[in-house]
Amino acid sequence: MKFDPYLILAALPRISDAALLNLRIAIIALCLAMIGGTALTVVRSLKIAPVNLVIRVMLSFIRGTPILVQIFLVYYGLPAATGLRLAPEVAGIAAIAINSTFFISEIMRGSLPEIDGGQVEASTALGLPPRIIWRRVILPQLFRKISPMLINEGTVIVKGTALLSVITVVEALRVAQQIGAARFRPFEPIIAAALMFLALNLTLMLVGRLLERRFAREVR
Amino acid sequence: MLGLDLSIIWDNLPLFLEGARMTLFIVLIAFVAGMSIGALAAAAALSPWRLLAWLVLAYVGLMRGIPFIVLLFLIHFGLPAAGIRSPALVSGTVALSFFAGAYYTEIIRACVRALPKGQWESARAIGMSPWSATRQVIVPQILAPMVPPVVNCTMTMIKESSVISSITVAELTFSGLVVQGNTFAPFEVFVAVATIYWFICASFAGLARLFEKRLAGARRNQGMTPLVGRYLILEGKRAR
Repeated sequence: MKFDPYLILAALPRISDAALLNLRIAIIALCLAMIGGTALTVVRSLKIAPVNLVIRVMLSFIRGTPILVQIFLVYYGLPAATGLRLAPEVAGIAAIAINSTFFISEIMRGSLPEIDGGQVEASTALGLPPRIIWRRVILPQLFRKISPMLINEGTVIVKGTALLSVITVVEALRVAQQIGAARFRPFEPIIAAALMFLALNLTLMLVGRLLERRFAREVR
Repeated sequence: MLGLDLSIIWDNLPLFLEGARMTLFIVLIAFVAGMSIGALAAAAALSPWRLLAWLVLAYVGLMRGIPFIVLLFLIHFGLPAAGIRSPALVSGTVALSFFAGAYYTEIIRACVRALPKGQWESARAIGMSPWSATRQVIVPQILAPMVPPVVNCTMTMIKESSVISSITVAELTFSGLVVQGNTFAPFEVFVAVATIYWFICASFAGLARLFEKRLAGARRNQGMTPLVGRYLILEGKRAR
């Protein structure tokens, strides 16, 4: 079988359409994970011993098991255990968002000590309630500090969306496989899919670079 | 509550363990091959030849920009397209090796970059050959700082290896899919599979923590007053 670059081009339109689904899933999952990760971080800072113990065990589980197995657990395991059946897209978004929630909270844990403690002390001396200290003092600075790592997490999420092809979500990789199966030429469409993922991730990194530059300008 | 039928897990335990052995085997090969690729690529990236450095940059960027499952399919379907017939196990191991190699390249390169430039220059100035300067001056100094990121990265590779199940290599995740097909008990099966991965990774994480504790000197958090720690530290007891 000879390699035919034309087949890559021929597969691109359908695959790039499907890649929009990857992008949509990734954006939803990232938004959910950012909200979840922030909430988890604030809860952990309260240091309620039993709650933190549970979170630590869950964190260890999320970090210690493959995302693919987590996706299988949500998509196949959850209905069997609870009767709750999710659509493949929803199960995929849920699995990726939960996974990323814990990773984002860990990113935050790593960067929190870099925040100037004097500001927390000053805010407390001014009588600001903890809610305001988080919202107005800590989080705005924290998000600027972790933005490069959040972008990195974003690329991890984009790559995670490719795994949803395994649970029949018709995203870019799945469409590439379908085209390959229809023409008995599996290789060329996969290259097209690889290019799409590369394009998505490079765009994301570019956005990250721009954000970083903007934040750098804001800091006097 | 969630009923967990342990007999399903117990009955199929030999199959799971067989799969776990295959997973460890694949990761071990990928570790050795990936480290070799990483060492060579890092050397190329740090060499004075621009073209080589540029090629390594493209390799690392490509590996980090595409999902592992796409790389796996590229190699699995690409090798036959190039006229090379290889069993799925070989494609999977080769894919994981190249994937891991890119991350190891970055680790090795970063560790060498972190050394003062004078180390290399003075080694060369006293007449050491590039090879012996690398082996006797550079390598001994980067081994210790390399350990935590390499353990971390290898843990990621253990997890990524689960993706190889999608080309029907009989590793741990695939054994889960097989047992699921036989028993129609996906919850029990994937809890068992996850637990085995968890055990493998937790052992690795434990190792990493041991090394980190030994290597890291002063803790960052220690300069904080209890009030500040209330917000900026997530672990431990709440200060009054």
